[in-house]
Amino acid sequence: MDNQKRILMALAALLLIGVYFVPIWSIGMEAPQYPEGLGMNITVDNIVGKEKNDLNNINGLNHYIGMKEIQPDSIPELKIMPFIFGFLIISGLIIAFTGKRKWILYWLGLFVLLAVAGLVDFYIWGYDYGHNLNPDAPIKVPGMTYQPPLIGSKQLLNIDATSLPHIGFYLSLLSMSIAGLVWWKSKEDE
Amino acid sequence: MQISKIAGVLALAVVLIAGCGQGSETENQTETDGDTKKEQELTDFEMLNGVGPVDEEITIEEVDEELAKEGMKIFDMKCGACHKMDNRYVGPPLGSVMNTRTPAFVMNMILNPDGMLQKHPIAQSLQAEYITPMPDQQLSREDARAVVEYLVQESQQ
Amino acid sequence: MMIKLIKKSWLWSLAAIVLLGFISMGCSSNGEFGSSADAAEKVYVAPGEYDEFYGFFSGGYNGQLGVYGLPSGRHIFTIPVFSQAAVSGWGYSEETKPMFQTTDGFVPWGDAHHPELSQTNGETDGRWVFINENNTPRIARIGLDDFKTQEIIEIPNSAGNHASSFVTPNTEYVSAATRFSVPMDEEELQNMDVSIDSYKENFHGTLSFIKVSDEGAMSVDFQIRMPGFNYDLSHAGKGPSDGWSFFTSYNSEQAHTLLEINASKNDKDYIAAVNWRKAAEYAAEGRGKMIPGEHYRNYIDHEEGGVAKSELIEEVRVLDPRELEGLVYFLPTPKSPHGVDVDPSGRYIAAGGKLSTVIPVHSFAKIQQAIEDEDFEGEEMGIPVLNYNSILHGEVQNPGLGPLHTEFDGKGNAYTTAFISSEIVKWDLETLEVEDRIDVYYSPGHLMIPGGDSQKPDGKYLVALNKITKDRYLPTGPEMFHSAQLIDISGDKMELLLDFPTEGEPHYAQGIAAEKVMDNQKRFYEIADNAHPYVTQGEKEARVERDGNTVHVYMTTIRSHYAPDNIEGIKVGDEVYFHVTNLEQDWDVPHGFAVKGANNAELLIMPGETLTLKWEPKKAGVVPFYCTDFCSALHQEMSGYVRVSPADSDVEISYGTGQ
Repeated sequence: MDNQKRILMALAALLLIGVYFVPIWSIGMEAPQYPEGLGMNITVDNIVGKEKNDLNNINGLNHYIGMKEIQPDSIPELKIMPFIFGFLIISGLIIAFTGKRKWILYWLGLFVLLAVAGLVDFYIWGYDYGHNLNPDAPIKVPGMTYQPPLIGSKQLLNIDATSLPHIGFYLSLLSMSIAGLVWWKSKEDE
Repeated sequence: MQISKIAGVLALAVVLIAGCGQGSETENQTETDGDTKKEQELTDFEMLNGVGPVDEEITIEEVDEELAKEGMKIFDMKCGACHKMDNRYVGPPLGSVMNTRTPAFVMNMILNPDGMLQKHPIAQSLQAEYITPMPDQQLSREDARAVVEYLVQESQQ
Repeated sequence: MMIKLIKKSWLWSLAAIVLLGFISMGCSSNGEFGSSADAAEKVYVAPGEYDEFYGFFSGGYNGQLGVYGLPSGRHIFTIPVFSQAAVSGWGYSEETKPMFQTTDGFVPWGDAHHPELSQTNGETDGRWVFINENNTPRIARIGLDDFKTQEIIEIPNSAGNHASSFVTPNTEYVSAATRFSVPMDEEELQNMDVSIDSYKENFHGTLSFIKVSDEGAMSVDFQIRMPGFNYDLSHAGKGPSDGWSFFTSYNSEQAHTLLEINASKNDKDYIAAVNWRKAAEYAAEGRGKMIPGEHYRNYIDHEEGGVAKSELIEEVRVLDPRELEGLVYFLPTPKSPHGVDVDPSGRYIAAGGKLSTVIPVHSFAKIQQAIEDEDFEGEEMGIPVLNYNSILHGEVQNPGLGPLHTEFDGKGNAYTTAFISSEIVKWDLETLEVEDRIDVYYSPGHLMIPGGDSQKPDGKYLVALNKITKDRYLPTGPEMFHSAQLIDISGDKMELLLDFPTEGEPHYAQGIAAEKVMDNQKRFYEIADNAHPYVTQGEKEARVERDGNTVHVYMTTIRSHYAPDNIEGIKVGDEVYFHVTNLEQDWDVPHGFAVKGANNAELLIMPGETLTLKWEPKKAGVVPFYCTDFCSALHQEMSGYVRVSPADSDVEISYGTGQ
């Protein structure tokens, strides 16, 4: 790996620092009675409302249909994720420093694996929230579950829920792409 | 060119007049009537007896005591807040009004104050002097007749 | 459009397209609708023209009744009812204070909920409008000749008077019920000092029927003692179901804490079907029991110059449905039903099961059949429960979320508000198919079609009474007026025409063709007929009289002076009563009366009327009073002075005008 490629690899790793500052995923909800919409962003270590009280309002709505309250503090994934990205940044930088091309592949493989695991985890989380309903809920609609879409839009009663990746996710994709490019381009170096 | 302009203005005026809301048509009508009549001379009868529901001469020879008493009661309740007998108050003193005005004039002033103020020069000059317009106190024709009887009685004293 | 298209397409699977993430952040619609010149024309009432309908909108927690013109949505008047109104002296003047008398003393505020126009032969007749007070259970009757509250009656043995004030088709009765059950002694039926968790054992509800005389005077004819559920709303039967009334209930769980969860458990609660005609017969026969039930009846006494009187009534007749056969039946209804609405034909009874996903519609004919066949699925505290499937006309499927209230257009259609999904759903009474739906902004509670709960609706407009306003108007900080929306229902499709703000919280409203009301309007009171004990019938009678520490000022007003307008001899510590008679006899010439240092309000005296303001001067000096209503070109001159001397001074009473 020449210096230029090392710098690119370092850049791929350093890009992930951005993940700590922007949301990774977002879920938006639209309903006639919420003209400005409600929404929440998932960051590397937290779930926050798009507006100050959105999370409270979402929890308020959810309690009518018996969904569990979303409490960021009680979601273990949010505790682990900062370390996962930390590991990826540091290991990415080490790879850039040592210039070992083969390791880029391992790094990338691990990254993709973690990303897929993250999405699967997210799906399971959504499934649990949407299906595991309090039997004492004031409103029970027979046969209705409230699992948010993994990605895309879904009508849940009168609320149009949209789940989409946010900048953090795209930064990760960009990081992967750069790392992949470095690996590909440095083929002839060896 | 010039003619078409004039025609245009006329047409516009017609449209505007025709377009006055139907509900208020009658009101507009009386208003224009008032404006034009102001220019017109009142008939001699109207000059003497006023404008309003009383359109025939009324003569009082001898005062009917009972009627005058009834008139006093109505006067005190509905008129006395503005009219005294001897002194200028909110409105003119009425102690000798029947020496200068006809019974029909006074009755029309009571029953049709708005119309009188609009049309009759005497009412208009009084308004200019006293400022506060004479309100419609919703007397019936009989009430007004009784008040006049009372005023005649007062004028004879 | 574009965004919607993209959203619904497969493109979403291409997560790598960064741009879309940004698009998603920017997309939220504000429910734009076809506001057009067409809609504007339909609601435009030209200057000087009248609206087609009067709308009477409850003021909710402002305690008053708002009057609006429809279709323009113009707020044309507020009738003071349950809350003191400094604007006119309602509840401050000596004449009107007794209207606020209750067994809890003087209550200056009320929570008004459901206005209901009087009816003759099932049609609104424009005589009166009734309205209930929820907090201190009361019902008011407002005269529609002078738009003034004429009578307020307290409901004994009640709390949370919500299912009220609904009339029978000939205004024989106005009904009321307990939203909050209260502890009742088996013998005495009076409040008891019991622990709250003895709810199931000790608490009961009552359904009250207030008889209305031909002149409008109200009296509690009888109460029906009920299980301790929460009775929520009501409507009387009509046509074939005339003689019956229907009351929704929730909390058949009989929870007394965290009702939000604990009263929402049962799949079905009940509508109580009450045979009021039979109950009235029982009451006339002297059945049931007279038991303690203190309550006040306050009324404007027109025999005595419009001075309000209070009378205390000590007992009330209570009928027990366990002892008197055929009085009450329970109709099982899913789930915590809120509104109960009888269609114009009187055949169908629609329930707004607010937590239900269907609108159940009961058939009155089937109810009668089930009663005849004794087709009961059980009984609840001695009251027969009919079989749901035997009485059901059908269920409206997919009616929106949180269905609350239904009104009718008289053309076979019903319109139901869906609170949670914020829409109005139109459905066919026979097929029960949803025909049309329209979003409203935001979250409607009641809705109103003029005559829409009577036998003869004017099915032209519908008003949605929305609970949430948010961004519909220029923002006014955290607190704002509620928002109503006018919808054209004359065609197959509903069309949103107009937003208009409404004061307080208009829970329910009534509408009536303007000509039914406007032809009976009083323009002023005849001064010769003024029988007020402190009337001053003419300026000659104007005077000031001292009686110990009490001073009565007999005062007149006419454009533009008071008589007397100079008063001396008032002392600190006096109780001064200004009895102000407006001598004017013309339309729209009220005079006001305000005196410096008064701790109550002003008076706004209509032509021919006498009102009294009590004034207790606290310090010596000369105090002005003046007219608050711009009455003439010389309005600014309409004023006077009162000289207040120290308590021990010997200034004699003297007074005059123009001397």
